Formats: sequence, structure tokens, C-alpha cells
Amino acid sequence: MNPRLGQQEDVATVDVPESERAVETIPSREPLTPLDWLKVNLFPSPVNGVLTVLTAILTGWLTFAVLRWVLVTADWTVVRVNFRLFMVGRFPLEEVWRVWSVVYVAALLVGVTWGRTGRRMEWTRLKTIRRIVLGILGLLLLRYLVDSALVWGLTAAAAGTVLAGTALGRLAGRESRVMRRAVLWGWLLAFPFVIVILQVADGVGPALWNGLLLNVLAGVVGIVLSFPIGIVLALGRRSTFPAVRVVCVGLIEFVRGAPLYTWLLFGVFLLPFLLPPGVILPQLIRVMIMFTLFSSAYVAEIVRGGLQGVHHGQYEAARALGLSTTRMMALIILPQALRNTIPAMISHFISLFKDTSLLAIIGFIDVLRVARVASASAEFVGTSKQTLLFAGFIFWIVAFSMSRWSQRLERRLGVGER
Amino acid sequence: MRFLRVLGQVVFVLVVLFALQQLYLNMEYGFRQRGITLDFQFLEQRAQFDIKEGIAYSSNSSYWRALQVGLFNTIRVAASGIVLASILGLFIGVARLSTNWLVRNVARVYVELFRNTPVLIQIIFWYVAVILTLPLVQGEEASGFAFLTNRGGAVPWPRFHGESGPWGLWLLAALAVAAGAWAWRTRRSDRTGDPHHRILWGLGLFVLVAGVGYVATGGPLEIDAPEATRFGFVGGLQVSGEFAAVLLGLVFYTAAFIAEIIRGSILAVDKGQKEAAAAMGLSAFQQLRFVVLPQALRIAVPPINSQYLNLTKNSSLAAAIAFPDLASVSSTIINQAGRPFQILIIIMSTYLIMSLLISTVMNVLNRTVALRGARR
Repeated sequence: MNPRLGQQEDVATVDVPESERAVETIPSREPLTPLDWLKVNLFPSPVNGVLTVLTAILTGWLTFAVLRWVLVTADWTVVRVNFRLFMVGRFPLEEVWRVWSVVYVAALLVGVTWGRTGRRMEWTRLKTIRRIVLGILGLLLLRYLVDSALVWGLTAAAAGTVLAGTALGRLAGRESRVMRRAVLWGWLLAFPFVIVILQVADGVGPALWNGLLLNVLAGVVGIVLSFPIGIVLALGRRSTFPAVRVVCVGLIEFVRGAPLYTWLLFGVFLLPFLLPPGVILPQLIRVMIMFTLFSSAYVAEIVRGGLQGVHHGQYEAARALGLSTTRMMALIILPQALRNTIPAMISHFISLFKDTSLLAIIGFIDVLRVARVASASAEFVGTSKQTLLFAGFIFWIVAFSMSRWSQRLERRLGVGER
Repeated sequence: MRFLRVLGQVVFVLVVLFALQQLYLNMEYGFRQRGITLDFQFLEQRAQFDIKEGIAYSSNSSYWRALQVGLFNTIRVAASGIVLASILGLFIGVARLSTNWLVRNVARVYVELFRNTPVLIQIIFWYVAVILTLPLVQGEEASGFAFLTNRGGAVPWPRFHGESGPWGLWLLAALAVAAGAWAWRTRRSDRTGDPHHRILWGLGLFVLVAGVGYVATGGPLEIDAPEATRFGFVGGLQVSGEFAAVLLGLVFYTAAFIAEIIRGSILAVDKGQKEAAAAMGLSAFQQLRFVVLPQALRIAVPPINSQYLNLTKNSSLAAAIAFPDLASVSSTIINQAGRPFQILIIIMSTYLIMSLLISTVMNVLNRTVALRGARR
């Protein structure tokens, strides 16, 4: 090691009066004056100050350019006119109640889950201001995009449903078993419910499930179906039977080794030939099968991580109680393992949801595809920036809020703290 | 009991094999109905489509050659992407933990913005909204220092005008001398504790020897300035618009993830390490360079490996903007030759092999990082 490193003169020294040294107390949190705040956070040293100024110039210029473009230069009519296409695509107007009922069920479930798992929101002054500003911005955006009073009412009611759900969840409390069961079953049944509600009574066929609806459906189908398959694969990978292990490892690694795009090509071009002669699956179903297969391999790896995190004493204790392998796994090991995997699962779900944008390049009318088509019409030539940004924004909103929720959950579960 | 275990496994394997066989028979039947065979003969046929960049290729070349061009382009974009994303990710990851409020928050906004948007949209955005809005090439001829147009860019680049062999030997010699000096300085520093300055020594000697060689061989390099012709650029280092868009998309997206990994790994290093380093009088940079980062990187290598794999696999999204990478070329061939089975087998195994290679390299790296940590 370089000996000169230790001999530098400019060692940071803190001048503490002798009288205060003996006892360590918690530093008092005197509020900084704005000037002090600037000094501590932006100009602690000359080099740092230069860094601040340079970053400020760069980001200031960037922010100004972007804001000017977004608020002044750009014409967002294309997004406004095609907003319905972005959301549900060509879903027939008179059938849209099906989508709304799905939205309400989801709103209620999200609300209850949020109320049960979330901590009480902190309302410090800064956070309050931030939330109010965000709320107003959201309302303004919605005001611009939607001009039907009916849609306004329905959206407001959906927001109300989330709030009511939150209140319900909070009222029942975290410890309520009934509520816990209800939420779990609600989420499990939500998926078949969605399929039924879209199809029941001369419903709307899969070809018309477009826009954000398609992305959400593909993402949810992928994660819901891949969950049990992934668990089975993960258990198979840790099986004591070498043959089972080899098959599972081979499948998992092969699926993970190739890009999702090639698996989607597989679903589109090859899967029809693998089915028994005479069996014909719609394109959307085939693609969802591929999403599920792809996702299963990743879920399997996440669950494996969770299983490895379970202390081996738990296995031994379960054995000592005389539990069979199945009961040990189902009652002792998996509940602990799965609890550990929740954050990883959510981030996998986020990435799967982002990956549903690949639907656009294999011919489905998802959000991205709507963006491309909308800006290709003669009326709106040269608006691809706007439509692409809006499509990105939709994905961003969903992905960002889910990742925030995951962080919250992580803190509550104390994952990694045990 | 033992017998049952073995029997169970045999039955399991038989069931799996039977299922695979059924799938294969279905497929063979289906393809035979359409008069498509399952052999690889068709790879010899003429491809009959154009590929604009990569290694030597014309529409007369075979499908096999087209796949090679695609693989070359995939490796090109993935390798440059990995290098650039690592550098950018490291910077942003460190900036994320800066004591400077502004720097910290700019890095945070960057990460949240790029991480939560699909990389496919980012690639298309770079292509449609940035590259294609650059000035047009009007089909006019021009020469200049550098070009940045909607068809790509070109910058001056050194090129051999004579023989490259003699100076190449000088370069090898320079490399050997530099390596020797590096090893000597390191050993001396280990023994005596003097500062090693091995980068200074190595680089200096390399430049010195290479420079002497350059003069001695009569200056074999010249600067090749690009020229715009009616059919694109001639000379210089050229980058196509598609390549740039894919690269930018992949780098900005992956860097956000790498930054988060770096940040997490730095936070995972015990706070006492940094405090001890500060107490020894190391500057902020030295604390990071000699104490915190070496330990953090050890934690970061496995997750960064999986980001590299993701980047390589995401490069297949180049198909969306018709950059001729492996996936893009393959989907063209599938559409044209109608042999999805063979093509998918080939490209999936190729991606698998690439993934394995990257993992192998990263495992070796992981071992060296871990070992050095254990020794010191």
C-alpha cells in the first residue's frame, strides 16, 4: 500500500469542545437555515461547488428544453384524439362496461391490499405539498385527455373505490384473518373473473383486446400462470432425484438463455406445428403460453433463491415432527420461502409488464403499436415523439408505482433483516 | 425404497422423452404436409435480401452467411453496449450516493426514468425521435471533418496506408515492455512500500516504444476523413443510425440497472470500512478507489453478470428498427424460407452459448476479485 496515503495533512478534523466529548448524545436535529443547507448539500468544498454548478447548468438547460418542448412546442392533439385507442384499442364502445367492471374489481383489490399492507402515510409538510402538486398535475392531465363527463365520473368513482378499499383494509387491520383470506382469494379469482367478464353474454373476442388492456392482461396472465409452474420447477431443481433435477435445470436454463423475442417467434411460427394435428390455438393464446413459459423459468429461479434462504434447521425441525416431504414443503418451507421472494417477484412482474411491449413487434395492437399507428396517420404526420413518449409514460407510471409499492412492502416485511 | 426411487426416475424420464417425441412427430407431420423438410440443407440457398452493415455480404450470399453477419452485428452491439453501460452505470451508481444533493438527485431521476420504461420503447424512441430527425443526407457529395445525419454518423479515423506488419510488431514489443514494467513496479512496491506509479510507467513506456517504432517504420498511419457520397459515407469510422439507436437504447437502460447494483453494493460495504479509511487520512476519492469499491465490486459481480446477459438478450430487440442483428436476420429468414424449427434451434443455441461465454468470463472475474480480497 502506498505509504504516503496515511501522511496527508488535510485530514478532516472536527472541532469538538472537550466538555462535550465524554458522553455521546444523539445529535440534535436543529433545522438548517436555507444558507446552511446550501453549504452542506451543494457547496461543501470548492471541487464539489464546481460540480454543483456544472450539473446545475446541464440539468437546468435539459429541463428547460424538455419542458419548453412538452408544454409549448409539441402538439399533443394526437394523444388526446387517440387516448381511447391507447387504453382499450378497438374494444367496442358499447362493450366498454366490461373493461370498467374489471377496473373496479382491480381498484377494490388494490385498495384493500394497500390498506392492509401499507403503513399509515406520513403527512409531513414537504410530502403534503408534493402530493397535492402531483394530484393537481394528474387532474390537469386527465382534464386534457378526457372530455367525456361520463368517463370523468367513472374515473372518479374508481379512485373512490380505491380509497374505500384502503379504508376497509385498514379498518379490518393487519391481523384480520378473514380479510387476509378474502384478499388472497380475491386476487386468485380476479383473473378468471376478468376472462369471464370479457367473454360472457356475447362478449368481445381476444382480437379486440388491444391497447393497455392487452399489456395488462398479457402481463397478469404471464405472472399468474407462471407462479405455480415456477414453484414446481424450483422444487424440481432442488429435488433429490437426479433425473428430475437435470430435466428442470435444463428447461430453466434453456428458457432463460434465449431472448424473449425468440420465444415469441417460437410461439408464432413453431408452436402451431407442435400441437396435435387439428388443434388450432388463437395467436394470442399461443403468445400468452410463451410469456408464461418464459416467466416460469424466472419465477423458478426467484423461488429457488427463496428456498435457499430458509434455514436448514426448519427442514430438520419439520422432519423431527414427523411431517412428510409434501407437508413439510407446503406447511413449513414454502410459506417462509415465498415470503422472502415478494420483492423479487414484484420486480420480475414489473419487467414482465415492460416486456409485454414486445407484443407490438409480433403484430399485436398493444400500447406501443397504438403509438406507432397513431403517428402514422396522414392527419398526424411527424408526431411519433409525442405518441412514443406517451406510451413510455403509461408503462412508466405503472412500473414506477409498483416499484415504490415494493419498496414499501420490503420495509414492512423486513426482508433481509432476519 | 431404493428400487422405487430408481423406478420413479426412469418413469419420469420416459414420460418426458415420450412427450418430446410426440411434439417432434406432430411437428414433422405438420411440416411434411407443407412440403418442408427438417434438415439444414436450405442454409446453402441464396438469401436474396440485403443486409446493410456488418461483414462482407451480398444478396447472392447464402442464408448461412446471412446468419453469420447477424451474429457479427449482435456481438458488435452487445460488446460495445456492455463496455459503455458498465462505465455509465458505475458513474451514476457512485453519483447516486454523492454527498452533493443535486448530483445525487439527478442520478436518482435518471435511474427511475430509464429503469421503469420498456427498453423497446427507448430503442424505438432513439431511432425515430432522435436519429431520424437529424439532418438529411440530400444525396449530395461533401467532405468534411465529421458527419451526423439521419443515416448515421462518421468521424475521421486512423488508417494504415502502407504495410501494417512492421509497426504491429513494434506495438507488440511495446506491450511486452509495458507489461514488464508494470510487473516490476508492482513487485517493487510490494517489497519496499514505495508508490508504484505503474499506470504512469506502463503507459509511458508503451507510448515511448510505440512512438519510436512509428517513426522508425516511417509513419504507417494516416487520418482518414470521411466523405459523404450519394450512396452514403466513404472512409472514416462509420456508425449506422440503426446501430447507434440500438446501442443508445441498451446502454441507457442497462446503465440504470447497473447503477442500482453499484449503489446497493457500496451500501453493503460496512460503514466502518469507509470511516476507517477516512480516519487514516485517505481522500474521498482514495476511500472509494482503494477501500470501498474493491469490496463493493465483489458483491456486485454476480448481479452485474445477469445485467450483461440481459443486455445481450435485449439486443434482439434491434429487430424492431431493422438493425440486422441475429434475431432480426433470423426472423427475415423464417418469413422467407419458412423453416422456423431449424432457424430457432440455431439462434436459440447461439444466444445460449453467448450467455454461457459471458457467464464464464464473469465467473473468472468473480474468482480473481474474490481471491484478491482474501489475500489482502
